[in-house]
Amino acid sequence: MSPQPFDSLKGFAVTFRQMFKKPITQQYPEYKRPVYPRFRGRHRLWRHENGLEKCVGCSLCAAACPADCIRVVAAENTPGNRVSPGERYARIYEINLSRCIFCGYCELACPFDAITLEAEFEISEYSRDDLIYTKDMLLAEPVKRMPVADRDLYDTPTPVWKAES
Amino acid sequence: MVRVTIDGQEVLAPKGQGLVETAASVGIEIPVFCYEPRLGPPVGACRMCLCEVEGLPKLQAACTLTATDGLVLRTARTSEQAAGGQSAILEFILLNHPLDCPDCDKGGECPLQDLTFRFGPGSTRMQFPKRTFDKPIPISPLIALDRERCILCYRCTRFSESVSEDGQLVAANRGAQSIIATFEDEPYRAHFSGNVLELCPVGALTSTTYRFRARPWEIQNVPTVCGLCPVGCNVWATTREGKVARILSRNHPEVHEGWLCDKGRFAYDHLRAEDRLRTPLVRVRRRGFEEASHEAALDAAEAGLRAAGSSVVVAFSGGETVEQATALARIVREGLGSDAALLPDDWDAALDAFRAPLSAIRDADVCLILGDDPVVERAPVVDLWLRAARRAEAEVIAVNPAGDVQAAPGSAAQVCADLREGKKVPTELRETAKSLKSAKRVALVWSEDDPTGGRHVGALANELHENGRAEVAVYVLPRTPNGRGVATAWYTVGEGRSDPPGEGEIGALVVSGDEAASDPRVADLAARASFVLTTAMFQSELTAWSHVVLPGTSYLEREGTYVNLEGRPQRLRRAVVPFGPDELEWLAQLAERFGVAIDPWAAPTAAEQADLPPADEFAWSRPDPQAPPGKPAGPGLELVRIGALFSGAAVERIPQLQFQRPAAEVELAHEDASTRGIAPGEAVVVTSNGTSRELRAGLNRKLRVGVVRIPAEHAKDFGDRVQVSRLSTGESR
Repeated sequence: MSPQPFDSLKGFAVTFRQMFKKPITQQYPEYKRPVYPRFRGRHRLWRHENGLEKCVGCSLCAAACPADCIRVVAAENTPGNRVSPGERYARIYEINLSRCIFCGYCELACPFDAITLEAEFEISEYSRDDLIYTKDMLLAEPVKRMPVADRDLYDTPTPVWKAES
Repeated sequence: MVRVTIDGQEVLAPKGQGLVETAASVGIEIPVFCYEPRLGPPVGACRMCLCEVEGLPKLQAACTLTATDGLVLRTARTSEQAAGGQSAILEFILLNHPLDCPDCDKGGECPLQDLTFRFGPGSTRMQFPKRTFDKPIPISPLIALDRERCILCYRCTRFSESVSEDGQLVAANRGAQSIIATFEDEPYRAHFSGNVLELCPVGALTSTTYRFRARPWEIQNVPTVCGLCPVGCNVWATTREGKVARILSRNHPEVHEGWLCDKGRFAYDHLRAEDRLRTPLVRVRRRGFEEASHEAALDAAEAGLRAAGSSVVVAFSGGETVEQATALARIVREGLGSDAALLPDDWDAALDAFRAPLSAIRDADVCLILGDDPVVERAPVVDLWLRAARRAEAEVIAVNPAGDVQAAPGSAAQVCADLREGKKVPTELRETAKSLKSAKRVALVWSEDDPTGGRHVGALANELHENGRAEVAVYVLPRTPNGRGVATAWYTVGEGRSDPPGEGEIGALVVSGDEAASDPRVADLAARASFVLTTAMFQSELTAWSHVVLPGTSYLEREGTYVNLEGRPQRLRRAVVPFGPDELEWLAQLAERFGVAIDPWAAPTAAEQADLPPADEFAWSRPDPQAPPGKPAGPGLELVRIGALFSGAAVERIPQLQFQRPAAEVELAHEDASTRGIAPGEAVVVTSNGTSRELRAGLNRKLRVGVVRIPAEHAKDFGDRVQVSRLSTGESR
């Protein structure tokens, strides 16, 4: 350890050098920095290619949810009203995003990859009620588009639970 | 006692005890699917219980073995061979079992899921397509069958064959082609069909009323007691999000052994019927009923009761809890100074000397059933006990117009008197008297309304006990779920009871509950009363007579105590919160205005799985009751009304239960039908009292000649005697 005055001067020198560098402040609302490929933002429900919902309303996501923010009420598919493959579908699927802690357990629990956590993180509303996302909102294409970084830049292997199924 | 070694542990067990129970007594689990002691002897159909037995070269199905001395058993815990066998069995069961657990209603509470997780292979080697069937097949409006998921454990068919003995569920085809089917693909219409839902260890049989409504991790199970018939079966009320989603049985081995009837299992949804009364109604002059606030309704009720003075009659429904009945009795007796009551069932306290649990029926030598009502319609589970007694080679004798002894309608009291006399027994009862005399254990079942509170059958029981030295159990089946508790509550609060006046004006009538509201005697009183206060869940003819209607609650929405037909006080718990105050709260507020202090909260009294209170000291001091005189004969046929189980306000509001309701049918004796030239299934005209109705004819070979039976809801406005004739040929063709 060197004596005290030299250390202070070294510190000042670091500060002084920064004055000649270009600032890296990002103008957030105007510029959106790409999120990581495995970022966990707002949920999204998915459909099969034939238009049927992947979700069958099994409630496993609700069971896995540590914040208890998912509510699923299932119903039976009828020939006249086929919503998902299989016998049951989610008649009501609600996520209370004011309670969600974005842990991603629902995504892990889902046996059909029907729910995933996507890039969107700008979830603020003037009312708590508006933070309850219904099935239609979760199934729709997100209004806001968040840039996602190229996954090849990062060490993001396909998770085991996705690769093997 | 014999010594059995299980996984190296020595166990002392009674000889002949099943190995599954023996292992369980030392905390060792032998996994099973098909094994269920309540269904009779084990069949060893699923092979899940494979274990190694020393000295035998191959794995044995442990559920079919019993404890014998020196038996050395090694389960999957210690034996690799057994573990491999169980794993192979699970892989084999899963060959054709679809892996649609997320879709399946049983997912999360499925024994196959659980046991595969614990004992089965981690992955499948199955690469070829699985067997498929059409699914789901509704085998009745209540039950959906999924044959792909069925693992052929035969629990459901064994239940149908050897417990409820309806024989409607059968295994069709053989070997790998076996499927569960109803006989001739008819709907499974039976009083106890819902039990197969709980027996099925996979999701092959699912309830149409519960399908997809909740998952096991989303529900709360509330232990309570069914309040739809006097048996008082213990149930779990499964609730989700504040609504009752299903009813499961909670095994009380002395009361119902875990079986429920379809009414108790499926009628819960009447709580959410659209036409339920939700706000108090007060009749305003010339404007009819208007919705009122709670305070205004209580004001109107108080004013009406005060105007009546002590000329008040209270009509109980028998569906109240003991606490409610006590509160109402105190208001009427202490607050209003009246003692006129219409009790749905009367009850004689001396009968408590013959109190016994319902399971004692199975151990009886002779079971005697008296009364015109079929037991299964009045207290369904008692019928299962009687069937169990018959299987245990007891003599079950039904004395009624369609029974083993064909007695005249309404003659049950006379039969009691005849059997008591001993001498000069009528010819048709001679065999019965002989059986009763030689029996050591007798069960007497009284299955019709008895205004004397069961004293006739009590006197017969006393005679058998005193002179025949037999153990006697008496079961008087009340008409209503808590009729016994209500009667006891009424007599506990004050002395005596006067019957409501037969004629003239009545100051006020208090009608408590829907069953009372549909009673014709109450309707007669209401016509004469100048003020009628009704508590009811639904609008009925009687609420139209009322001046103030308070919304009632159901048995699933109350705390309190019910006393079942055995005399067992059982605790009722609130499964869901009612939308307003319950009856006890209404009564407490009303009582306050008459200076009677009533606690609006029912104190928890009975235990969760209540024991039967001990029978009182033997004290039969009542005078022997007189049998009522027989009805005079007249022209036509004598009518017996059957109070069907699947009737009443609750059942009427469940669409899935409609197929269970009694058909518009008149049962005729064979001779009566042939003299009139009536063929079974033909439409006939039944005329009585100036009313005529077209019903379908059904033949009953066991029915007494000169008697017809019609379900009560199709016999409205009929007198005691009816004329039956064919539809004129021109109309029927």
